[in-house]
Amino acid sequence: MTAAIVIQQAINGVVLGSLYVLVALGLTLIYGVLVQINFAHADFVTIGAFAAYFFMHLAGGSYPAGIAVALVTGGALGWLINRSIFAPLRRKGGELPPLIATIGVSVMLQNAMLAWFGPVPYAFETPYSQQVFRVAGTFITMQSIMIIAVSTTAIALLYVFMRCTFLGKALRAVSQDYETTGLMGINPNHLVLLTFVLASALAGMGGAMLAPVLVLTPFAGATVIVKAFAIVIIGGFGNVEGTILAGLLVGLIESYTTQFLAPGLIDIVVFGLLLLMLAFRPTGLISERREENV
Amino acid sequence: MSDIPNAPESGCGHRPGSRRLGLLAAAIVVVGLPMVFTGSYWQANLTLCAINVVLALGLDFILGYAGQLNLGQSAFYGIGAYASTLLVMNGGWPFWVAFVTGVALSGLAGMFLALFAVRLRGHYLAIASLGFAVITYQILLNWISLTQGPLGIYAIPPPPGLKIPGVPEISFANPVALFYLVAGFALLTYHVLNQLVRSPIGETLTAIREDEISAASLGINAAAWKAFAFGIGAAVAGAAGCFYATFVGTLVPDAFFITESFMILAMVIVGGMGTLIGPVCGALLLTLLPELLRAFGDWRLVIYGAALTLVVMFVPGGFVQAVRILSAKLGLARGAAR
Repeated sequence: MTAAIVIQQAINGVVLGSLYVLVALGLTLIYGVLVQINFAHADFVTIGAFAAYFFMHLAGGSYPAGIAVALVTGGALGWLINRSIFAPLRRKGGELPPLIATIGVSVMLQNAMLAWFGPVPYAFETPYSQQVFRVAGTFITMQSIMIIAVSTTAIALLYVFMRCTFLGKALRAVSQDYETTGLMGINPNHLVLLTFVLASALAGMGGAMLAPVLVLTPFAGATVIVKAFAIVIIGGFGNVEGTILAGLLVGLIESYTTQFLAPGLIDIVVFGLLLLMLAFRPTGLISERREENV
Repeated sequence: MSDIPNAPESGCGHRPGSRRLGLLAAAIVVVGLPMVFTGSYWQANLTLCAINVVLALGLDFILGYAGQLNLGQSAFYGIGAYASTLLVMNGGWPFWVAFVTGVALSGLAGMFLALFAVRLRGHYLAIASLGFAVITYQILLNWISLTQGPLGIYAIPPPPGLKIPGVPEISFANPVALFYLVAGFALLTYHVLNQLVRSPIGETLTAIREDEISAASLGINAAAWKAFAFGIGAAVAGAAGCFYATFVGTLVPDAFFITESFMILAMVIVGGMGTLIGPVCGALLLTLLPELLRAFGDWRLVIYGAALTLVVMFVPGGFVQAVRILSAKLGLARGAAR
């Protein structure tokens, strides 16, 4: 029995963790290339979730198509906001103004959604949550299998993209040395735009898959984003492998804390770990060369 | 961090005599305010303004002067509020003793967070302080036997009345008296911080803000001074928390969620960080603006977010910089006319 519970919570943890990875990867990509913290990332998650919800309930679309809609919506929104607000600010330089602008944008988006959609939670149900497979005292829903499949595919594609394609290599080059990349004939501005769109699209897609797990309100993304920040730090800012590892770790911590301690302690455990990491190993689980902020 | 847009204040504020005159003028304005705004709705807003001024001043000392990117201010605010209230209501302590203890505990929490500021800079410190605020909020929410969690604490008494021989007792159950108390404290905070930032201590902090390594090479113990700045800024936020609890009369953890840190940050930025008058203006603007925008209903916080974004995009020095630019233009126009 106890073994079944442990395995069951491991499954739940991996499902949740893979969603956190999707959200956190976007943050880490943006940080790697731009050295910028993006608080509005939370709202790309929420908007993705709402896009999928309304696509399914108003247009009568299927859930997989809803996920695709969320992906596109997130990417488009990322492009728009980067173009209109973050890019002009970055040209002026400085560390604090872009950070505060992301907070301002986040407050704006969250409350615009609150005005439109109201504070009452939306019930986001998919047909796949009902299909349950039972194996040796544990169970897994079709929804969970889909989440793991989609996020693993997305993460693998991203990984291959970063390692094997010219654009991906250019992205990694920019994140190592912004100015020299420009000298090598690569336009960093295009790459910044690409990063932003990619990260926001991942967030939107993550939102569409998180919505059935969370309570879908205009603040849904905000509850995830603080954990995503913790994941990014625990994994090492800008480090893709570390982020994947830390995301799964936080998912597991969350499911085991819920089972064996109390759900209210999740954030305390996660952020306690974060503060310990910052105190003793600020470069993250997998050390990297980015040292200037530590 | 070198993106402090506002250079040190110049002009009339420099001479101690005129500084005292400015404080006197501010005190007269404060005394007059409740006589102009007589409705209880506006009087409550005035007290809220005074609390927010104290909060913004505290953050500005850490962020604008010491240059530490701190998003944990909501935690210090909450610690002050809960500590003082619980000591009064559960411990039966006299209010002012509980007040001083609450302020001291907040200050200690700030110095604890400064341990991280010694090793971390910029974004890492921002996330560490955010993490600290999340943990504090979750403790307030989950330690139900102590804080009553989401149910909250109700019927918090106002500070005890002031007994001066020969004068009728001043009761702080009266909203105007409470406003005078909090506004008086805000003026005191402004005055003390003003003295601090103009003293060699202020210059030391600014040196750390501008270039920590050069400051250290001059023999400045950056770690100790950061702890000092965090301690002072957090203690000030704790005091605001004590007043908030007695002013509202109820405490729920949601009042100290991380969004509160963002709101305080917005006040400092919109007003103009690295000056003291800036955060005061920012706190007044952003407390009254949502009230004035009530007609917009749910959209008023959208306007709030937009204001924050537009300020950093176009006037990064905030209200103070805007006034300076305006007055320079006016001065120029006058010069040309002559």
